[in-house]
Amino acid sequence: MSAAAKHPGLVTALKELPSNVWSSIFRNPLPANDQERAATSFTNFFLHLHPVKVHRNTLRPAYTLGLGLISFFLFLILVVTGILLMFYYVPSTTQAYDRMLDLRGTVAFGIFLRNMHRWSAHGMVAMVALHLCRVFLTGAYKKPREFNWVLGVVLLLVTLFLSFTGYLLPWDQLAFWAITVGTSIAGYAPLVGQQMKFVLLGDTTVGQEALLRFYVLHVAVLPAVLTLLIAIHFWRIRKDGGLSRPQDGRGREAGVVKMRLEPAAAPKGAAVKTYGMQGFVRGPFTKIGNVPDDSVYSWPNLLMAELFVFVLTLSAILVVSLLFNAPLEQPVNVMHPPNPAKAPWYFLGLQEMVSYSAFWGGIGVPTVMVLLLLAAPYIDRGQAGVGRWFAKERLLANTIFLTLAVLNVIFIVIGTFFRGPNWTLVSPF
Amino acid sequence: MANHEPEAATPRRKALIWLSGFGLFGSAALAAVSNLIFFKPRVTYSPSALFSIGKPDDYPPGTRIAREVERVCIVREANKMAAISTTCTHLGCIVALADTGFSCPCHGSRYDQDGNVTGGPAPKALAWYQVNLAPNGEVMVDKNSEVEQGTYFTL
Repeated sequence: MSAAAKHPGLVTALKELPSNVWSSIFRNPLPANDQERAATSFTNFFLHLHPVKVHRNTLRPAYTLGLGLISFFLFLILVVTGILLMFYYVPSTTQAYDRMLDLRGTVAFGIFLRNMHRWSAHGMVAMVALHLCRVFLTGAYKKPREFNWVLGVVLLLVTLFLSFTGYLLPWDQLAFWAITVGTSIAGYAPLVGQQMKFVLLGDTTVGQEALLRFYVLHVAVLPAVLTLLIAIHFWRIRKDGGLSRPQDGRGREAGVVKMRLEPAAAPKGAAVKTYGMQGFVRGPFTKIGNVPDDSVYSWPNLLMAELFVFVLTLSAILVVSLLFNAPLEQPVNVMHPPNPAKAPWYFLGLQEMVSYSAFWGGIGVPTVMVLLLLAAPYIDRGQAGVGRWFAKERLLANTIFLTLAVLNVIFIVIGTFFRGPNWTLVSPF
Repeated sequence: MANHEPEAATPRRKALIWLSGFGLFGSAALAAVSNLIFFKPRVTYSPSALFSIGKPDDYPPGTRIAREVERVCIVREANKMAAISTTCTHLGCIVALADTGFSCPCHGSRYDQDGNVTGGPAPKALAWYQVNLAPNGEVMVDKNSEVEQGTYFTL
């Protein structure tokens, strides 16, 4: 063979440049068989978050409703629009409101970006809450997914706190008084309440220090915390054996094999069997190989489902942002609270309870609720009815949960529509 | 020399491991807690709690005037004066002056002329603050020192 064949010339290299660059980035062609479909999932950085195969239950829209995915995609939209808004925003009591007006009046697409950010934020709170309902009502928080449920509850709290800190930033009347009321509630916590309020506000009242603190929390601290928690939340889905699903006849989740190998325990001198990495994984995982089961390849089934949910979420936000403008009230006037002064809708249930008793409504009841949620998977240990909506075996748990959820919704509806000046009952009709 | 098989840690070694672990994580925890002090401001930028409200003559006998910036209501009767807080004891909104006393726009708390709760979720009465006369003849209110309800300063 000649040297030329072994070392292609410059012309050949240039000719093949595009395809060489392409194939150096994307190692696999579009998959044509099962082996290549599997390879796609673990050779691509972004796709390797996915398992090679997923159970059909994971893909049934009627089972998950895609609520977790929608929440995540809303968070992505929030990060992108939030970073763009940061280019024009100044966390100063003398400038913040003017910057809001500039977004509306002079910045190209400014009002649209703000709308997207505001409506995605509302949407994310709603979707995370609904996701929690879905997971509870399908019994998906049970063993071995207890800890991921706990992470989910913490994610809900961080989402609410993110939304709350963002609420102050426009520095309008709505923002100022909602935060005044909200932080006063924190002041009712026993022993540390007043200290906590002072540290949160950086002062005795809501002012420049509070605006700066809320800004830093909103754009740096809380998004970082949320990102980390989301990463662990996703990772745990895989490590806990994928999404929950109905059990097979033998009392195990269909499609999951339990494996516990102790290679180190082999007696000395015995023939040593070599295991692949898979062999050392403990606990439940989705089985692979030519075993008849109810799972399908992630490529393209799961990926197409995800793409569909993403496109749906983004289009919904785009349409809503085109049709409705994010509210902006009068600039802050610390002497004249609006009447009635209302918190954002998802806190109006709290505010309604607070109008009966500040401590019980603002601290006592919410704390008990959160503790109940956190404790649920450790108290409710039965394995029956996992993976099905409203399973008969879970009638008691679901009834308790739905009662509390509906109560919360009723309080929110009363606070939103039935409360007028001086928080007196009014008819919205 | 040859007996280097992995034996169970001796009690002393175990204790030392525990002690050093405790020291390491203990000091890390202490450092983290001491950093909390960082977040508590030593001074604030808010206006002074001790302030002048002008001459006594600015408040004719029988008037009740709300000073919005300082969040106090100045009560003048014959030859005595008092300062009542207008910050709602419920959740910190500013109460408005009403015929019957005070009323809060946020959650509907109501107070009588002396600041006693007459309705709504407010847990306690509005605070009364120390009133004094400065040497230059101006009336000073000190929001740092609360006084008992009904304590008037006699001019």
